[in-house]
Amino acid sequence: MSAVHDKISNDTSLSSVLRQLPRNLWSSVFRHPLPSSELGQAQTSFSNFFLHIHPVKVNRHTLKPTYTLGLGLMSFFLFVILTVTGVLLMFYYVPSTDQAYDRMLDLRGSVAFGTFLRNMHRWAAHGMVIVVFLHMCRVFFTGSYKKPREFNWVIGVLLLLLTLFSSFTGYLLPWDQLAFWAITVGATIATYAPFIGQKIQFLLLGDNVVGQEALLRFYVLHVVVLPLLMSLLIAIHFWRIRKDGGLSRPPEAEVAPGASEIAVKLVSPPAGKQSFGFMGLVRGPFVKVGNVPDNTVFSWPHLLTAELFVFVITLAAVLVVSLLFHAPLEEPVNALHPPNPAKAPWYFLGLQELVSYSAFWGGVGIPALEVLLLLLVPYLDRSPHGVGRWFAKERLLANTLFLTFALFNVGLIVIGTLFRGPNWEFVTPW
Amino acid sequence: MKESKEVPRRSLLTWVSSVALFGSAVISALANFVFLKPRATYGAPSRFSIGRPEEFPPGSRIAIEQRRICVAREGNQVAVISTTCTHLGCIVAVSDTGFSCPCHGSRYDQDGNVTGGPAPKPLPWYQVKLAPNGELEVDTSVEIKPGTYYTV
Repeated sequence: MSAVHDKISNDTSLSSVLRQLPRNLWSSVFRHPLPSSELGQAQTSFSNFFLHIHPVKVNRHTLKPTYTLGLGLMSFFLFVILTVTGVLLMFYYVPSTDQAYDRMLDLRGSVAFGTFLRNMHRWAAHGMVIVVFLHMCRVFFTGSYKKPREFNWVIGVLLLLLTLFSSFTGYLLPWDQLAFWAITVGATIATYAPFIGQKIQFLLLGDNVVGQEALLRFYVLHVVVLPLLMSLLIAIHFWRIRKDGGLSRPPEAEVAPGASEIAVKLVSPPAGKQSFGFMGLVRGPFVKVGNVPDNTVFSWPHLLTAELFVFVITLAAVLVVSLLFHAPLEEPVNALHPPNPAKAPWYFLGLQELVSYSAFWGGVGIPALEVLLLLLVPYLDRSPHGVGRWFAKERLLANTLFLTFALFNVGLIVIGTLFRGPNWEFVTPW
Repeated sequence: MKESKEVPRRSLLTWVSSVALFGSAVISALANFVFLKPRATYGAPSRFSIGRPEEFPPGSRIAIEQRRICVAREGNQVAVISTTCTHLGCIVAVSDTGFSCPCHGSRYDQDGNVTGGPAPKPLPWYQVKLAPNGELEVDTSVEIKPGTYYTV
């Protein structure tokens, strides 16, 4: 095989070079042919830029759809869909109070696929807020934030906040009544923070009221600052998954069912004589010395097909919803006539509901406390038990507390969205 | 013995230079917020003229929606009250009893004190003065004590 290869590459006559051109081009891009052996499967994951983020082998438990529900991947794919549709929409959008609304009408009227792309962007954004939240619930209810994954939970919480803020900044861009008053209300909630609230609002809006400056600032945050920050944190989030030993799983998932355990005796070398290969420095269970019976399969093709499946499902869902429902567009901004009731974006309606009881607690106290508690979750719950199983018995208390927290927030949002009518009075949606 | 209590020169230098480097990084980062805080706003100016006092007859309460203010005059006393709801920033409407917010139902009396709804604090009063040209000039960046009238 290699002899043939050498012979070909040594023949430098023009006809031979041209004849070999397609093959040489292909093999210079893809170092390995489609894998037909286990070595090939390993090499493919290892040497391809887009695949090297994967481990060569992955635990069977990780691939169980009922364990992760694919929610983390779904969040990521929604982010990708949002990036692509967002960049396309940028080609036709102008962040100016004179033009923004007209550009929305242009998307509808004169841009090919304009309505459809806007629908996709809008519904994927709402979907991402929901899916990221559900992903957080999955991680909590399976105890996956525990050691050594504490910091990845923290990054996840930051990503949730960035998702909310991205969605919030995007909400203003159509410059219609819905956008203007939702942001007016949302930005005023920020002013309830003591001492700095007013300053934060001024810095965010670039003025005392929502206007041209606010539109430009929200645009820059929405299309550059927040996506860059999120990309960085997503990269760290993924990196940490690998470095923390892959997805969480119960201890019994480490060994294949039926395999007998082989005791591996570790002998410490005498002091001054330690020597390590690179592999010896890598944490986590993927580096095996010898033939320890494990419960892993090759990432190519098992993990890849699972990822492809989640991607297709996610994209299909966004496409179907975008075909069936149009993204809302109300009348252009009229700064003198607020709608009744004026509502913030739905994911902030829980806060708005709280603000209607107590300005400080709704606007600052409770949200700050909630974010702080979320960030501290893995540092408050130090019990190592119940990792890798849904609703583990040992975690009854923690799970109950978190379920209460989740239902409290969802309940407030449902009340604020469906049960509040003109003058913020109680109404029934039916 | 004496030597061990002294901070070695090398680690002292390390500390000083680290603090200097890190400090300048922090200050540079904070300087961005100075940049981001606008010195001049391009929107509505905070100080503007609303016309001659005769345009506001005694006993009238006239809302100027574009400026988000209400001019109240009693006898020869003039006051300017904000019409931006202190709850969530909507524009309150002038009603017989005072002000009412269409967004979330906050109600205020004629002096801007909260009489109902979720509003957390009364409507602010703004400074108003007669300018040299004989027109009333309002400064919405200066809040004054509610109940303080300006005599024209």
